[in-house]
Amino acid sequence: MKGYWKYFLNKLGWFVITFIFAFVLNFTLPRLMPGDPVAAIVSRLAQGMSNATGVQAIYQQYAELFGTNRPMHEQFFIYVRNVFRGDFGFSFSQYPRPVAEVLGASIWWTIALQFPAILVGWIIGNTLGALAAYLKGGFDKVLMPVSIFVSNFPPFGMAVILLAVFGVTLKWFPIAGGYGFDLIPSFSWNFIWSVFVHYQLPFWSIVLIAIGGQAIGMRSMAIYELNADYVKFSRFMGIKDRKIIGYVFRNAMLPQITGLALSIGTMVGGALVAEIVFSYPGLGYTLMNGVMGQDYPLISAATLIITIMVLTANFVIEILYGIIDPRIKAAQSEQ
Amino acid sequence: MKHTLRQVFRSGKFLFGFSIFVGLLLIVIIYPLLVPDDPLRIIGQGTFFPPGIYVNTYDSVNAATKYTLNLPEADVRRIESRLKQEDRLAMREWLTAAGIPESEIDIEDTERLLTLWNNNFDPKKSIPGMTNARRNYFIRLNNALKGLATSGDLILASKQAESGTLEETGIIKDTDYVNVSEVANVRVLVLGTDNFGRDMLTELVTATRVSLQIGFVAGLIATLIGLTLGLLAGYVGGLVDDIIMFFTNLFTVIPGFVLLILISYSIGQEQRGAFTVATVIGFTSWVWTTRAVRAQVVSLRNRDHVNLSKLSGHSIPHIILHDILPYIASYVVMALILQISSGILAEAGLSILGLGPKTTEVPTLGLMMRWAMIYQAHIQGNWWAYLPVLVTIALITFSMNLMNTGLDQVFNPALRD
Amino acid sequence: MGKVILEVRELTTKYVTRFREDVYAVDHVSLKVEEGKSLGIAGESGCGKSTLALSLMGYYFPPLHYISGDIIIDGRNISGMKPDDVRKSILGREIAYIPQAAMNALNPTQKVIHFIEDVVQAHDPTKSKKEIYEMARTLFETVGLPASVLQKYSVELSGGMKQRTVIAVAVILGPKVLIADEPSSALDVTSQKMVIKMLRDLMESGFIKAMIFITHELPLLYNVTDDIMVMYAGQIVEKGTAREAVFDPLHPYAKGLMGSIIVPEEGLRSARLTAIPGVPPNLKNPPPGCRFADRCKYVRPECRVASVPMREVGEGRMYRCVLSEKELREAYQNG
Repeated sequence: MKGYWKYFLNKLGWFVITFIFAFVLNFTLPRLMPGDPVAAIVSRLAQGMSNATGVQAIYQQYAELFGTNRPMHEQFFIYVRNVFRGDFGFSFSQYPRPVAEVLGASIWWTIALQFPAILVGWIIGNTLGALAAYLKGGFDKVLMPVSIFVSNFPPFGMAVILLAVFGVTLKWFPIAGGYGFDLIPSFSWNFIWSVFVHYQLPFWSIVLIAIGGQAIGMRSMAIYELNADYVKFSRFMGIKDRKIIGYVFRNAMLPQITGLALSIGTMVGGALVAEIVFSYPGLGYTLMNGVMGQDYPLISAATLIITIMVLTANFVIEILYGIIDPRIKAAQSEQ
Repeated sequence: MKHTLRQVFRSGKFLFGFSIFVGLLLIVIIYPLLVPDDPLRIIGQGTFFPPGIYVNTYDSVNAATKYTLNLPEADVRRIESRLKQEDRLAMREWLTAAGIPESEIDIEDTERLLTLWNNNFDPKKSIPGMTNARRNYFIRLNNALKGLATSGDLILASKQAESGTLEETGIIKDTDYVNVSEVANVRVLVLGTDNFGRDMLTELVTATRVSLQIGFVAGLIATLIGLTLGLLAGYVGGLVDDIIMFFTNLFTVIPGFVLLILISYSIGQEQRGAFTVATVIGFTSWVWTTRAVRAQVVSLRNRDHVNLSKLSGHSIPHIILHDILPYIASYVVMALILQISSGILAEAGLSILGLGPKTTEVPTLGLMMRWAMIYQAHIQGNWWAYLPVLVTIALITFSMNLMNTGLDQVFNPALRD
Repeated sequence: MGKVILEVRELTTKYVTRFREDVYAVDHVSLKVEEGKSLGIAGESGCGKSTLALSLMGYYFPPLHYISGDIIIDGRNISGMKPDDVRKSILGREIAYIPQAAMNALNPTQKVIHFIEDVVQAHDPTKSKKEIYEMARTLFETVGLPASVLQKYSVELSGGMKQRTVIAVAVILGPKVLIADEPSSALDVTSQKMVIKMLRDLMESGFIKAMIFITHELPLLYNVTDDIMVMYAGQIVEKGTAREAVFDPLHPYAKGLMGSIIVPEEGLRSARLTAIPGVPPNLKNPPPGCRFADRCKYVRPECRVASVPMREVGEGRMYRCVLSEKELREAYQNG
């Protein structure tokens, strides 16, 4: 167990470092750009809003809240303090709603959509890849080109096609939103059913994209493992094939877990764009609305939250991986 | 070198991907020579004209020669094209209500449907449960159908400048034809028009070119950064390695997409040309190349030929250039190809979010996708506005991935199976 | 003459490549090993010696296929047996195999004892874990391995330790014949010595009754085994006692092979170092006559006509050449 603790602390340290770094980047990047950020915000506000007094009010409030007229380091600490209070200021485009409220409404949609979808895609993809490696022949010959094609398909493209086929043409599923327009969120069967139906297309579009990439990765890992020496030795020691396949897939699965940790950022990015296609009320759609409404506080907060989500998911996967793969414990305790 | 190239071109996967890619390149190069139109020029008044051959009506009417063709199905076809789907459904509704078995009614077969209607429709017949308004609707429908069937000649008239009276200048019969090749203005819109009324095909070809350029610039920048950092980290090692790997690991977990959004937004819409976007993409996606190059260099660093070169007193640049680069060249090429295709995807994603290149200069695949989404082409069933764009993107990335797989099989024979 | 433990008659097997080409890597091979004896098989890489080792197990899986011949272990012909019967009652029990790269012969994510449990239970499901542990502990202590190894993962073991563990696992069911394919080639000199000593001890204590030792290192064979066979292009070309094969080879290839090594061994030092020019023939399309003809200094027209049979000269001494013993000796004398 000592070995695992070492691993855990190492990963925790990394989590904290990346978190701080991402935080600093999120703060500095928009401020590093040439030009006066305050002036830029004012000019954008003037474009985005018609209400002149509203513009003035937000500008005052924004300058106050983020201290945009103070030196950089002071601004940073004000920013840190505000963020830890969960105070991201007011949304420009949805004034007078605070950013925290706007995002608070959308973050759960994203979490409930993306993480199950990525997980299901990962599981199905790995199963198919493993089967392709083991069965070979026709199954492999059909599955592989399809997987390669699908994994090269842009995530939003899969979303558009599913929407056009199953939403518009076949009318099996609704084409936009997280629930029916005529419904008010509640715990009624009607509402839950509506959420479930609206969930299908965005969910499967993310799942399909994930399947392709994962199946390819798993297939080559499994082929590599099937040719490993321990397979030959186990066979010649009279162990049944079924048991050996068990060894192989377990071992091939392990690197796929780290692979998931590394690619989850990209996958979330793609899925955010897929949300836009379905007007799904998650972070991606909110982000797009923020961009259209020149809503700086909203964009800044949304990117920070997405980063935190990805970093956390990454951390959790690596921690689980450490528990599952015995080599981690062994390697750490040897040092 | 020659041998390697020959081997590469013997790989089926590489060849297939390469052919698709070269095909796309050829179209991008040759098409503008044949159709030198401005891709952003608005030609259509209205949104989303479907693909087809557009024949100028004015020129057709005034065509020099008129031909008379007596084609047997002409009438039926004419009615067929004017009978709307909702009318057909309404006819079925009345007929079934009047007791005709549903199996006999085929709303797709216009001729039979009309005969059935004419034989059975009786405006006086009262159908239980039908409102008065609905009954009147069916009577109107019946009259409209009669109008469809009786076709008369059309009279052409022009207004006299002085008196303002109409003067007959010609008659158009339902058997009159013109030869398309004799009509002065015919425009083939292979992919119809987009929401602004621009020719989709011309726009798509230009967008493909621009997107490929963006991908190439982004890929080149990312590969150059990755190569430099990877070589430094891998060859110099020590503190340099630690620092570079620290940042590489940082940017591996911090999603590049988020950085891309932040930077693009900060730059602002006016400053975001296609080239700027490409540069930003390049600067946020060097991580994987750095990792791959470093791993390769580390494994090469202590090979005999590198040690020999060190002992012979060659400088570090010399060793890197002569003893390391040739061995990792294949990896670098593969990384470049991968970066190009992911750069194209990144641009598309950014554009959909509204953070792509500014919309006034050049079209890109991502911008076309964004326009299609905003104007809801996908919901209205205007497939020509988004499907060709998607297929193009998929063809580019698919062909590049195939090339990469082919290269991989040639350079890493162990993975062949 | 002792009791024959392993007899192989005219064994022929083939490989099927990815491109569906047949490669006859083992071509009508016959051999006999008596109780208490060990047989060495030598040859260049690619000569078919590793394929022979795999083929001797009587258990075939793609890409290796059985064509004809008999394998008789202690009077029992295993060639006609059903694969699952071979797996259950022969593998590990009658004949055991130590793979070439024993470094990777243990599943990296499984503790040694768990693998042993799988091996034992594949043959006898009624054995309890406790019994198996006792059995393994006793065996490991007898062969000089600490019992703590049982609780470790292979990554935690050093190279030499790993190799000895693999050997110990291979003999856990008390097989009569042990086939070792290059068991020491990837190790440092000290570990190599320990591995060889372990194999010798196993033989001397009668734990295993016969051994086949495959390597390209001739001096090692000379030290370890009683008899030596030389393989070339899938066929046996020379067979004799270790002394005969090393110091008095008859076949021109064997002669060349013995001349192409530097050996710090008495009597061998004076031998001239000569390399054999050329490469072995492609086994997808072996030549009709002698397979060594293209590289042979003493080649004659009749060599290329038909396949050359083995000639027997004295007790267990054989070689495959159209020239007589006398002609060959004269030729060697003249250089």
